[in-house]
Amino acid sequence: MTFRQARWDEPAIWDLAPPRAADPPPQVSGIPEKMRRKEAVRWPELSELEVVRHYTRLSQMNFGIDTATYPLGSCTMKYNPKVSELLARRECATDVHPYQPESTVQGSLEILWRLERILARVTGLPEISLQPAAGAHGEYAAMLMVRAYFRDQGELAERTEVLLPDTAHGTNPASAAMAGFTTREIRSKDGCVDLEELRREVSKKTAAFMLTNPNTAGLFESEILEIAEAVHNAGALLYYDGANLNAILGITHPGRMGFDVAHLNLHKTFATPHGGGGPGAGVLAAGEKLGPYLPIPRVVKEGRRFRLDYDRPKSIGKIKTGYGNFGLDLRAFAFILSHGEEGLNHIARRSVLNSNYTAAHMGKFLPRPFGSLVKHEFVLSGTPLKAKGLRTLDLAKRLLDEGVHAPTIYFPSLVDEAVMVELPETESKRDLDAYIAAFERAISDTPENLRAAPRNLAVTRVDEVRAAREPLLCWKDLRGASAKAETP
Amino acid sequence: MPRWIPDERGDEDALLESLGIASTDALFTDVPKRARIGKLGIGAGLDEPQVVGEVDRLLERNRPLTKFSSFLGGRVVSRYSPAAVDSIVSRSEFYTAYTPYEAEASQGMLRTLFEFQSLWVEMTGLDVANASLYDGASAAGEALLFCRRLHEGSRFLVPASLPWEERSVLENYASGPGLHVEGIPYDDRTGQLDLEFVQSAVAKKDVFGVLADVPNGFGHVDEGVPELKSTLGEIPLVVAADPLSLSVLEAPGRYGADVVVGEGQGFGISPSFGGPLLGLFACRREHVRSAPGRIVGATVDTEGRRAFDLTLTTREQHIRRSRATSNICTNDSLMALAFVVYASVVGPRGLARLQTTLAEKARTLASGLGALEGLKAPRFDAPYLSDFTVELGRGTADEFLDRLLRRKVLGGHSLADPRPGATRPAERILVGVSESTTEKDIRKYVAAAQAAITAVGRSA
Repeated sequence: MTFRQARWDEPAIWDLAPPRAADPPPQVSGIPEKMRRKEAVRWPELSELEVVRHYTRLSQMNFGIDTATYPLGSCTMKYNPKVSELLARRECATDVHPYQPESTVQGSLEILWRLERILARVTGLPEISLQPAAGAHGEYAAMLMVRAYFRDQGELAERTEVLLPDTAHGTNPASAAMAGFTTREIRSKDGCVDLEELRREVSKKTAAFMLTNPNTAGLFESEILEIAEAVHNAGALLYYDGANLNAILGITHPGRMGFDVAHLNLHKTFATPHGGGGPGAGVLAAGEKLGPYLPIPRVVKEGRRFRLDYDRPKSIGKIKTGYGNFGLDLRAFAFILSHGEEGLNHIARRSVLNSNYTAAHMGKFLPRPFGSLVKHEFVLSGTPLKAKGLRTLDLAKRLLDEGVHAPTIYFPSLVDEAVMVELPETESKRDLDAYIAAFERAISDTPENLRAAPRNLAVTRVDEVRAAREPLLCWKDLRGASAKAETP
Repeated sequence: MPRWIPDERGDEDALLESLGIASTDALFTDVPKRARIGKLGIGAGLDEPQVVGEVDRLLERNRPLTKFSSFLGGRVVSRYSPAAVDSIVSRSEFYTAYTPYEAEASQGMLRTLFEFQSLWVEMTGLDVANASLYDGASAAGEALLFCRRLHEGSRFLVPASLPWEERSVLENYASGPGLHVEGIPYDDRTGQLDLEFVQSAVAKKDVFGVLADVPNGFGHVDEGVPELKSTLGEIPLVVAADPLSLSVLEAPGRYGADVVVGEGQGFGISPSFGGPLLGLFACRREHVRSAPGRIVGATVDTEGRRAFDLTLTTREQHIRRSRATSNICTNDSLMALAFVVYASVVGPRGLARLQTTLAEKARTLASGLGALEGLKAPRFDAPYLSDFTVELGRGTADEFLDRLLRRKVLGGHSLADPRPGATRPAERILVGVSESTTEKDIRKYVAAAQAAITAVGRSA
């Protein structure tokens, strides 16, 4: 297969029509002189077609799920159904203000309420808030809730620490730290939590243990009930990072596994688009202990009417404007309505089937550090590449030349030269076989070719070291750099 | 079986056969029996026409803004977005992509984000912008933590007029490290910040940052804001600015702001019941290594061609973990795309023209409402752009707005904190205009307000 990405020689938007010397903008009467803008915003004046052509060309230099298999581990890059896009663009969805009177937004409120009720069943945790804007935002809110809970219990002075396994997503320790906790990592054994180590480490100082299950090694933490018991025996709370929920839909859920609070990513499990990095939609799900601490407002149903309830004295308050990313909540709602009970369970089964099939084949090319049975994703080690003077990075770049996206690399960090692959349920067997074949071609190619990759994309290998060493972060910097270059 | 899980060619049997197993049950033997669940109880799946029918049925219980004369304002606005914006945002090469980890495969989004960062830098007069945060309020929260990295102290000053939602978000961001958010009182006539209060607070040496919003929570432009920095010295100043206002107002970087955050929703992003929104963040170059969030940088490829990547990543959670400058991972890239496409289609002159038009309309509304007895509009004697505050002489804001609603007028939103037990200093309403506001809408609002005041007077 030969693949060529578009390679437009497209100028930066300001070079299409360099702005002239800036005149002052028109003035608003009554604005005092010192608050008036002296020079108009420096930005090009372009025709609509010029703008459309510019960004259309840029879009053609970008991979998306719609153009290529995108097996980023822990990112759940599944098909984003078009029907969800259609519905999210209805006037009754978009042209609605968050401060409209409740009587005029009953549809939005009912959608939020029904989505919450569904997610309560999916997670086994009865209290839901859709307010967080993304997964990490949900983690952070949950840690603030944990903090508020222990403050009310009179234990906050003592419980200052959050534990997490060494396989945890980086957002977990970062969120816990932002919420004022110190963090400590628990070593894994064969890719899973070392229960003995956890029992030794969890104590009266522990506020929470943060865990994702299946974990980032793609393994199900089979001792989850014992883990929950150990955490609860110490009086601490158990937090579920929902990034990997796809693998267990309808099989088990955080509530049954003993978790006290969870976040979900609607932009992973429930197929809302990632938007090139966002927006996402986080969801908070909480059991009895932490439910009262969820952000306000909560959506409540009274008779046949829905309203926003601000009367939650223990609530942590707000973490963003509005009630969450409604546009994405609506997409996820349509996705779940489409799938229903059986469909959600089918997602778990097929994503795990895809993963095990691909792992079995790709495991022929690189070692698999952990057992053979995996869940929605699996990890390979690129260590053997080192013998040829290569790195996992070279393999990833060479894969791009095949017209497919690379897996997540260098994560989880407990695996040397990690390659982390997730091929969700929407990839057909033909897609899987094509990916395996591309992987084989890539890894069997010569070291020179791997190092020279990619060649078929809009640019060749990007100099990341230079980017970090001499940061050029905006147009102003480029102007400064070119001025410097012109000065002898 | 949903058609998005491909089995048209007997995929599943072939996959099972290849693994030598009879059913997918064999793949879940690692889930202990005691952890298994039964049915979720969420009902059967629907086919596409049924889903469309069901969601549309629910959405029809909403009444969109076009059904009213709407004067809802604040940080979330209803502003016309040229069709070209959604056309670009709908390109699935953009919207179905992940965060651009593989730079070579993602030059389109990286270049777009670089242009977005550049635009926010030009608008704010600062040096560096990040690739977006969640919304204006959480961006202010990140700015609070950023200030604490730059300066010692435990108190963060914000206008007492800041909308309650933003205050609550800030208090949450402050709570982790045990910091305090404190209100700066304002002048009762003008709504302007009490600069003497700031001065004496700063003298106590415990303030690590000050935030001022432009326009402020009352919709007004506070001419004292440019004077804040001279009082603060080394203490960082955060300005929360409305992007459209910056088409005519001085770039905050020019009067000493060290950080400029903002809510970018008005630029090509529909209100969508409050999300997704767009958090904007810019700072000074010397502070970039303390900045939160993704940052795109320009570099070259092996052939010397201009190329872009995510840079200065050692600040971030996936590398620095608990010592990261922020936990943010997923941000709002697609909304950043909308923002830069909107600004480019409308153009800098168009933005300034739009802002001046809105200011004229707001003035017309204010003079109409200001002529009525029983309310004060604008409540504060200070300049304004698209929004201003109305204060009722009697009756509650909720009652007043409800009466307006009966005449199909969305008369703004109450500034009161809706939490039970919150103090309600006065019955104040923030009103705003948009480009769809007509003379007729304004006359309708004034007439409805007159009727509401009369009715409240009768019932009192």
